[in-house]
Amino acid sequence: MPSTHDESAILATDLRKTYSSEVALDSLTLDIPHGTVYGFLGPNGAGKTTTMRLLTGLSDPDSGSVRVCGVDPSDRRAIAGRVGYLPETPPLYDEFSAREQLEYVADLRDISRSVARERIGEYLDQFGLAGDADRRIDGYSKGMKQKTAFIQSVLHEPDVLYLDEPTSGLDPRAARTIRESIIAFADAGTTVFLSTHILPVVEAVADKVGVLFDGRLVTEGTPAEVQARAETGESGSLEDAFLAVTSEPETDAASRRE
Amino acid sequence: MSVRQDVRHGLRIGRAEFVRSLRGYLGNPRRVLGLLLTALFFGGALLFALPTAYVLGQTARSVAAVPFFAPAATLVPLGLLSVSVFRTLERLGHIDGADFVLLAVHPRAVVIGLITAEVGRLSLWFGIPIGAVVVTFALGMGSPLLVALGGAVTLPLVCCAAVWGYAGGIAVLRLLRKLPNLRRLLKGVGILAMVGLVVASQFAGQFIVESDLSVQRLLSTVAFDPLVEYVALAFVGTPVSRPTSLGAVAVLAALIALTPVGLAVSTKQVSTLWFTDSVGNNESTQVRRSSGGFSAPQPFAWTKPSRIAWGILVRGRRDPAELSHLLIAVFFIAPFGTMFLEFSGDALGPLITGGGVVLATYLSGATFGLNPLGDDRPQLPFLLLTETSSAALVRGRLLAGVAVGVPIAVLSSFVSILFGITVLEAVATAAVGVVMCLAASMFAVGIGSAYPIYEEREFWGTETVVPSTLVMMVYLFVVGGGTVLGLFVTWFAVTGNVVLTPVFGVLFGTYLLLTGGISYGSYRYALRRHRRYTLA
Repeated sequence: MPSTHDESAILATDLRKTYSSEVALDSLTLDIPHGTVYGFLGPNGAGKTTTMRLLTGLSDPDSGSVRVCGVDPSDRRAIAGRVGYLPETPPLYDEFSAREQLEYVADLRDISRSVARERIGEYLDQFGLAGDADRRIDGYSKGMKQKTAFIQSVLHEPDVLYLDEPTSGLDPRAARTIRESIIAFADAGTTVFLSTHILPVVEAVADKVGVLFDGRLVTEGTPAEVQARAETGESGSLEDAFLAVTSEPETDAASRRE
Repeated sequence: MSVRQDVRHGLRIGRAEFVRSLRGYLGNPRRVLGLLLTALFFGGALLFALPTAYVLGQTARSVAAVPFFAPAATLVPLGLLSVSVFRTLERLGHIDGADFVLLAVHPRAVVIGLITAEVGRLSLWFGIPIGAVVVTFALGMGSPLLVALGGAVTLPLVCCAAVWGYAGGIAVLRLLRKLPNLRRLLKGVGILAMVGLVVASQFAGQFIVESDLSVQRLLSTVAFDPLVEYVALAFVGTPVSRPTSLGAVAVLAALIALTPVGLAVSTKQVSTLWFTDSVGNNESTQVRRSSGGFSAPQPFAWTKPSRIAWGILVRGRRDPAELSHLLIAVFFIAPFGTMFLEFSGDALGPLITGGGVVLATYLSGATFGLNPLGDDRPQLPFLLLTETSSAALVRGRLLAGVAVGVPIAVLSSFVSILFGITVLEAVATAAVGVVMCLAASMFAVGIGSAYPIYEEREFWGTETVVPSTLVMMVYLFVVGGGTVLGLFVTWFAVTGNVVLTPVFGVLFGTYLLLTGGISYGSYRYALRRHRRYTLA
């Protein structure tokens, strides 16, 4: 069940990450309360996946600190049950069927057999995979794989759920199912950290939005606040705001050149 | 509690990884056929070995009388350790689905899982024949207890070797990550070392045969007594048992104590490897540039197939790891390396030209031709919808191979003039070599198209699409055999040693017909496969 303690769900302070001489992330600070859907936006190569890896503890920052539900992600035993992560490439085993995969996940997550069976059955039904549950994953479509991976990331009911492009490449029905699930999890108290390029998805589900550009958080707030701050006008969308805030350095550079 | 939990998770991971491997082996009918052929080949050898093992069991009067017992008892654990290091470097340094597994369980469980799965895989390949030999030996001795005790003695040995080998392998991976230049250097050195090892093994065999050196005496120098005493514990309760020594007990205690320590070291090592990023030159962040656009130089610019060939050559040059399958030839060509050193004077010239032409024909087909559909698979949706004909695409691949092989054939022939062959002989072998290169390339695209491989797999430490091993073997034997035959005839012809008889005429005609016919037929088949190709 989601945590109920007072600490922030995700608290990152002054995170910095470099690869060789290239700065991937610089001075990133995030404070995300429980039950929030946080839309994490940024152009390709902005450092979103790096951020996710630091927040899950799959990678170490060069400096700065991370706490997830009050736990240091480098404490692997403590963090394991609290977070779920759906990376951009679904971590599935082609040689297994969806049911085998999910039962394997449940086993490693120490979910009792009866509870696991019940949850897996419910999720497979909810995501329309029940009829194909015993087919090997290598024969699945992209959408089916994505849905299976999504179920895998939430099977243990984590406090914090990291989703990297969860609806990318999905048909509208599958995308809607995942979108509705994100809202349902947030309503139940799960914190969802959602990285995507599909801005309407963020507009539809996010309570708060952060925009990463060139390794730095350039703006943060509710979708309405971000739009207002970007001065895109009343008719402006989140897409307009995104384009405005992620082109500022170029504009600055151009004006400096002038 | 956490140890028990990690062991339980580890065994679960091990089971899952083993099942995945098993399904991988059995999931493809062609792989099953390959496995059956392997089993048939080695099964026959095993059938001959079993009666020998039975007789040895019957006649053994003491442990020391078991042939090569002492050196084997020392070398086998070292071998296990080496296998563990090698397999860690090659395969066990990471786990598939790491983003999920590493967030679900402790790294120690992952280490246990990976090692368990590997022990399972190796047991599947080697455990059955070794088990059969041990059981037969025990039956011959009339002591089935040997089988159980053998297992009990082997288990701590395998566990200890596995965890310390794993720790060693991960340490090497960490070092290579920190020093990427060393990794590149080691790849080159590794290939040379392997060739050297194969050649050296030929000399070693020859030396042992020709000198008075006794193999038994040579191997006895490597025996490590406490380890031999420990392995001899397997014979306790059998007619050949000997008193248990203090050394044997000490080795057992050391193995039991060192295994958890090795596991802890391994866990510490992998945690650093998996949860920290590489330092220094991170290859993935290096931006490589190519200026000037795509313009093929002369003579590649002449036709469309030759421009396609140039593109294939450029890609091969920029990503040589894609050509790692060529190394399989080392095992077949290196044994002949000793010949170059043994022969001198008149024989060296013909050997250099012959070796060069054989290598050239091999490279002509094997470099780019043995998996044309598989290599182009990601681009086929585009290629099949362009105006370029299938013939041009196949010819492009064929020419790329010829462009690699022909210079070697010609150069080796003319370099041989310095070693005593005449200009006429050099011109003749070069001409035959050029024709052979073309024939080999045509043959390669055909058999490669018949058996395309699309899946990437780990090969010599590189994740790449590798041609089928069966195809590579067939190609090696057909092209190697055909080239050697052709060279012999050429050599005898230019040196005036061919007697033109009707039998020779028929045999030579058949050879030419087969070489030309099979190559052309193979090429036509490749064209047809390409034209009719549909995406699965």
